[in-house]
Amino acid sequence: MIMPNEVAQTFSPGLPVEIGKIDRELKKLWAESGSEMTRASLINLAVYSEAPGSLPLNTEIIFKITEDHACRAIVISANPDAKENRVEAWISAHCHVSRAGSKQICSEQLSFLLEGPSAKLLPNIVFSQLDSDLPFYLWWQGEFHDPMDPQLWAWVDRVIYDSQTWSDFRAQMQRVETAQGDAKQRIVLCDLNWTRLVQFRLAIAQFFDHPASHHRFEEIERVEIDFAPGYRSTALLLAGWLAAQLHWTLEKDSKDNTLVFRDQSKKTIQVSLNEEAGEPLGRCVVNCGSIEFRVAHSANADLLDLAVEGSNAERKCLMPAGSNDSVRLMSEELMRGGPHRVYLRAMNSVRDLL
Amino acid sequence: MSKSSETPQTNPLREGLATRAVPQACTVVIFGATGDLTMRKLIPALYNIAADGELPPAMTVVGFARRPKTDEEFRKEQEEATRKFSRQTVRDEIWNGFAQSVFYHQSEFHDAAGYKSLAERLEKIDQERGTGGNRLFYLAVAPDQFEPILKNLKEAGLNKAREGSWARVIVEKPFGTDLASARELNRIVHQAFSEDQTYRIDHFLGKETAQNILVLRFANAIFEPIWNGRYVDYIQITAAETLGVEGRAGYYEGAGALRDMVQNHLLQLLCLVAMEPPTDLGADSIRDEKVKIVRSLRRMKQDEIAKNVVRGQYAEGAINGKPVPGYRSEKGVKPDSKTETFVALRVRVDDWRLADVPIYIRVGKRLPKSGTEISVHFKKAPPVLFNKEAVSLDQNVLVIRIQPDEGISLRMQAKMPGTSFRIEPVKMDFHYGTSFGKASPEAYERLLLDAMSGDATLFARRDEVEEAWAFIDPLEEAWVAKENQPGLFEYPAGSWGPEEADELLARDGRAWRRL
Repeated sequence: MIMPNEVAQTFSPGLPVEIGKIDRELKKLWAESGSEMTRASLINLAVYSEAPGSLPLNTEIIFKITEDHACRAIVISANPDAKENRVEAWISAHCHVSRAGSKQICSEQLSFLLEGPSAKLLPNIVFSQLDSDLPFYLWWQGEFHDPMDPQLWAWVDRVIYDSQTWSDFRAQMQRVETAQGDAKQRIVLCDLNWTRLVQFRLAIAQFFDHPASHHRFEEIERVEIDFAPGYRSTALLLAGWLAAQLHWTLEKDSKDNTLVFRDQSKKTIQVSLNEEAGEPLGRCVVNCGSIEFRVAHSANADLLDLAVEGSNAERKCLMPAGSNDSVRLMSEELMRGGPHRVYLRAMNSVRDLL
Repeated sequence: MSKSSETPQTNPLREGLATRAVPQACTVVIFGATGDLTMRKLIPALYNIAADGELPPAMTVVGFARRPKTDEEFRKEQEEATRKFSRQTVRDEIWNGFAQSVFYHQSEFHDAAGYKSLAERLEKIDQERGTGGNRLFYLAVAPDQFEPILKNLKEAGLNKAREGSWARVIVEKPFGTDLASARELNRIVHQAFSEDQTYRIDHFLGKETAQNILVLRFANAIFEPIWNGRYVDYIQITAAETLGVEGRAGYYEGAGALRDMVQNHLLQLLCLVAMEPPTDLGADSIRDEKVKIVRSLRRMKQDEIAKNVVRGQYAEGAINGKPVPGYRSEKGVKPDSKTETFVALRVRVDDWRLADVPIYIRVGKRLPKSGTEISVHFKKAPPVLFNKEAVSLDQNVLVIRIQPDEGISLRMQAKMPGTSFRIEPVKMDFHYGTSFGKASPEAYERLLLDAMSGDATLFARRDEVEEAWAFIDPLEEAWVAKENQPGLFEYPAGSWGPEEADELLARDGRAWRRL
C-alpha cells in the first residue's frame, strides 16, 4: 500500500499481480487493511499514456487526486510499437486521513503495462476492471491516433484530454468528434486546456456581474492576452470564450496574433495575443474605451491581480489563480463537471485558428 | 437554490462557471461588530469566501459598534480572530487585500447621528469602491437592540435602496421567545424592511446535509413513493450534545431546550423531511411547502402535553469519563431553576402524507454523544417467510446524519454467511467526508453568499417563524401553569435523558435509536 509517509520516497505502482487474479488480490489487500481504512470510490478513472516512464508519474498524480476525489483508478502505460509482447499488472491503494481525522480513506489503483500487440487489449482490460454503476472517466494523455476503438468509447462518460499538448488541433479534434459520434452516447468532452482558463474566466466575468456594468459589453474595443510559449491555444480559447459568449464573429482578415472580431452591431473588436515567458496565461486586459479591466497573474504567487482603471473607478483585489499542474487541473475538472457546452462554443468560434 | 424577485440580468460570461446565483458587490454592515458572532463566524466566513475567490472584489464590510476604535484597530482584532477561527489557514496576501475592504464605524445603537454619518460613509464607499448602493445589514446583536437599530436605519433612509440597487437585513436568532414577541419583532423589522428584504438566519439550514434532504427526497425516484404513512412507521429527529450551558446560562435560563433548539432548528428539519415537493426551487415555493407542515402540526391540549412531551434537566454525572456538575450548579443558573435542558416530544403532522406517522423529537445537553440526525423507520416486512418467527426482523431505517459525520445510511436485512438461515441487519453507509475530500463551506459562508445573491431559500420566513411559535407556545404555557403542570425530570449528565423519555416511545412499542 502506498501510505502518505512513503510519498517522498517512491511512487511504485504497488503489488505485482496476475491480471486474472486482480479481484482476489484486491480483496486480500482490503482484508489485511483492518477496520481503520475505508475504501471509497465515486468514479472509475482510467488514465492512458504512451509516454515512457508514465506509471510512477501517474501514480503520484493519482495519489494526490484521490485526496479530494475518491475513485477506482486504472492507470495504463502502453507502448504499442514495442516488438515484444508484455503485459504486467499491479494493485495498490492510496490512503489519506479523513477530514474527521479518525479513518484512512483509501482509493484503489490498478496499474497496467501493455507493450507490443497487447496494447490492443486496452478496452478488454478497462471493461473487466470497472467498478460497476460508477461513471467512467477516461483521461487520455497525449495524442489520439487511429483507429479509435469504438468499443472503448461506447463506455466512456467523460473523456479528458489536454489540447495544449496536441501538435495538430484540427486533426485531433476530428478524431475525438468522430469517436464521439460513433459511440452513440453522450460523451462529455473535457479539455484541461479549457480547465486551465477557469480562474481567468471567473476573474473577467466578475467585472460584469453588476447589471449596471452590462452596457460595458458593447463598449469592448480591444482585448490583450499574454501567453507563455506553447500556450497560444490557451489564449485562443480565452478569446474564443469571449467571442462565443458575447456573440462576436471572427473576421477573415485575422492574422496569427491579431484577431479581429465583429459584434452584433458590426463594431470591430481587436484581440491581440502576445507571447511572453511566464505563466500559461500571464495577463488579460479588456479595454472598453474609458475603462479598462485587467487580470494579471501575480509574479511568484498563485494569485490573480484584478484591477479596474478609468472612469473614476479604480479598484484592485486578489483572486486565486490556481496552478498549471496536472493534479490541480484534474481536481478542478472533476469538481466542476457539467456538460461543457460553453467550451464547445468557445472552441468552435476560434476552431480555424487552433 | 432559488431565483429571487431581485434577480439581476444574467452576465453571459458566468455561463458554465457557476451553478448558483452570483453575489453582487455590496457593503455588509455588521451591527455588533465587536461581538463573538462577528469574530468567530462572520468575518472568518467572509474571509473564506474571499480566499475561495467567490466574493465580489468590491464587497466592503463596515463594522458598527459602540466601542471607540480605528479602522486599523478593528482590522487587527478581526485578523487575530480570523487566524484563530477560520476553516482555512489565513494567507497574508489575501488577508491584506481583504482587510482593505473592512472598516469600522463607531456609534451607539440608539444615536441617530451615528446612522446619518453611516449613510454618508456608505455613499462614499459606493463611489470609491463600486458597491453600487447595495447594502446588507447584519444584526448580530441581542433582539432588544433590533428596534433602535432598525428605527434609526429607517430614519437615515438606509432601509431603501436607490433604483437598481438593494437593501437587505439579516436577523439572527432567537426570533422572539414566544408568538407574541415574534410578532412584535417582525412588526419592528417590517417597519423598516419588507419581508422580501428580510433574511432570518438559521445556521442549521446552511449545513450541507440539511440541504441534501431535498435532493435525497426529490432527486431519487426510489424514495418518494414510499415516503408516506403506508410505508413509514415513524420518524425520529435527535439533536444531542455533550456540552452543558458553557457560559450561556444567562440566555439559556430564559430559553431552555424547547425554545433554543426545537422551535427553530428541529422544526426546520422536520419540515424538510415532511414537506411535499415544491413546484420549483424558488425560495417561496420551498418555504410555502415548509410552512404548510408547521401549520399541520397537531396542536396539543393541556392534558395531552404531559403524555406527549417530556422535559428533563441534567444532574451531576460524567461526560467522557470526567465528572461534570448538574445544571443547577452551573455558573449563572438559579439553584432552583426549572429550565429544561432536555426535551422529548411525540408530534403528529395532520396532512395526507404523514397523518399516521408519529414523529419523535429529542434534544438535550450533557448527553453521552454529540450528533444530530433524522431517522426514518420503515414498516416491517409482512409476517410471512423470513419474518414469521417469534423474533421478528428489524425495520429498514434510513438515517440522515446532519452533524458531525454528515452522511446517509440505510439499514437492511441480509443473510449471514453459513449453512443456517440467520438474518442480521447490515448498514449501507455514505459519508460526505469519505466520498468528497473537499471540505464543505461553513454554514455562515453559504448563507452570507445567499443573502448577497438575494436567495432566501435557506432563511426562515415570517409565517414559518410565527407558526412554529404557535405550536410551541402551548407547551411552554403548560409548563408554567399553576395546575396540572407536567413534571421536570432529572437525568444524570452522560445518560440519554430521563427514563420518562424512553417510556414515551415504549408506550408505542418503540425505542429511541442508538446514536
